[in-house]
Amino acid sequence: MTAPAGVDHHASEDDPRIMLDGQIGQYEQVPPYPPRTEREAEFYSLRDGEMFLNMGPQHPSTHGVLRIVLKINGENVVDLDPVLGYLHRGVEKLCENSDYHHIISQLDPLEYVSSLFMEWAPVMSFEKLLDVQVPRRAEYIRVLSGELLRVASHVLFQGWMALDLGGLAPILYSFIERDEIVEMLAALTGQRMLFNYFRIGGVNGDLNHEFMSRLGDWMSRALVQHEANIGLLNENEIFIRRMRDIGRLDAETAKRMGVTGPNIRAAGVPFDVRRAHPYSVYPELEFDIPVRGAGPLGGDSLDRYLLRLDEVRQSIRIIDQCLHQMPDGPVMARLPRLLRPRPGRAWAAVESPRGLFGTYAISDGTDQPFRLKIHDPSFVNMQLVGLLMKNNLIADTMAVMASLDPVMGGIDK
Amino acid sequence: MDRVLKARLEARLADHLARPIRQRHDQTEIRIRPADLLEVMRALHDDPDLDFAIIADLAGVDTGTTMQVVYHLWSATTPDWLRVIAEGMPREDPRIPSLTGLWPGAEWMERETYDMFGIIFEGNRDLRRIYMPPDYASFPLRKDFYLPDDAARSPGGGARHVEQPNAPVVTSPRAPRRTVRA
Repeated sequence: MTAPAGVDHHASEDDPRIMLDGQIGQYEQVPPYPPRTEREAEFYSLRDGEMFLNMGPQHPSTHGVLRIVLKINGENVVDLDPVLGYLHRGVEKLCENSDYHHIISQLDPLEYVSSLFMEWAPVMSFEKLLDVQVPRRAEYIRVLSGELLRVASHVLFQGWMALDLGGLAPILYSFIERDEIVEMLAALTGQRMLFNYFRIGGVNGDLNHEFMSRLGDWMSRALVQHEANIGLLNENEIFIRRMRDIGRLDAETAKRMGVTGPNIRAAGVPFDVRRAHPYSVYPELEFDIPVRGAGPLGGDSLDRYLLRLDEVRQSIRIIDQCLHQMPDGPVMARLPRLLRPRPGRAWAAVESPRGLFGTYAISDGTDQPFRLKIHDPSFVNMQLVGLLMKNNLIADTMAVMASLDPVMGGIDK
Repeated sequence: MDRVLKARLEARLADHLARPIRQRHDQTEIRIRPADLLEVMRALHDDPDLDFAIIADLAGVDTGTTMQVVYHLWSATTPDWLRVIAEGMPREDPRIPSLTGLWPGAEWMERETYDMFGIIFEGNRDLRRIYMPPDYASFPLRKDFYLPDDAARSPGGGARHVEQPNAPVVTSPRAPRRTVRA
């Protein structure tokens, strides 16, 4: 920018250039220290025609605060380096210093989109430590509320996906759908987002009238509404073309990369913890595991998107069975208020909307766990961006990233 | 508790088991030495009778006296989770081979464990901090890293600052460092 003659810019306090004096960017593309690893040295050396482009941490399509350093050649992404940690709050350390009941609320905000699953895994591992038998009605309520939240999460994903590709309308419809489910769960748990509902040995409260009437109302048109939402997007030529053949992932790579959840099932591997290692009352329920991308080339972004829509139908099927098979009885096991499990180790994993969510608890006999390891599916799935974004256009990176459906709260813990 | 799996593991890995196999609920636990890790994991992954194709978790553990790395594996051949504990690493210089040759997806899990415990995974080509800033000096999940507000456990009533990697470890009988029987 050249200043008009006769105007002294530095005289005015409104001049933007005064603000730009000194250091401009907080996030430097090239680290100000020598490379620490082989990989870092390789990434931060540029060949002819290449440059770095910083994406995030405030980029709207990074689903939170992910920062990706892209190495680009023209419009092509040559390589990339994801930088994590902007949301890190040290949950595992906090858990080592809080008692067993408190941990449930500590883990809630990890995946704030589907927080019941973040309660389910630790609760299950503590029940294994304590040898508690959970009442059957409580198990059914857990499955019922969990599957409701899975629908909410996948429906929201549908809107996000469109938003990241530049379509503004679908997210509004997603939020209408999600809001109904969330309000329903608020009637059950008292919270809209961070439910803090599951307890060691059961759930916090029994089903109530408001929840049941809202649920019945929603169930009467859930499938119809779902089909309508699908029609909004799946017939959109631009939407489909931008996702087809982008970010292909095959079965062998998916297994080696430790990928779980819809992302591995869209690569042709029928791995779902609900069937692969059944927990709760899932063995008593009938549902299919949708699989896509079973060909030798694997699945692309479109497969990952469509698979989640298939799962919504299965979840509605499960909810329907839960309502018909719901047994009577208590919703909490009888337990002392202060829990001191005997020394031991326990691992429990559930199928969250993003994949295998597991916790590994070690007890040393006190009322606080000695160690609680949290395994978050988004964290592992996030490694795929390095693999799938390469050799795509910058504009397509978001089609890949959104189709993996990461939640940064879980990745950064 | 899968008895068949136990028998298979005992037959296949007899030389490598540091302790007898333990089973509880839906978990089978084997303990090995860190030096044997690659050999054991290859056997678990490649043997068609075991076929542990999916790595579900990788966790570091500081028992207060030694370091461990704990792996959870899944296979279609057994209804159990398999827990592999590589135990007995010294706290001063914990080292273990990297699994990235077998499961490239272990790379970030190992980076996280390095970040939190300072365990060196030999062979991981990108072993840098992943959550904490690059100039950070401590390993936060180690048991001698006290939280500033953790008054009940830290010596001196919580006065010890978190960023003192070289400060002597105070062991008073009133506030011992937490340990667990490995």
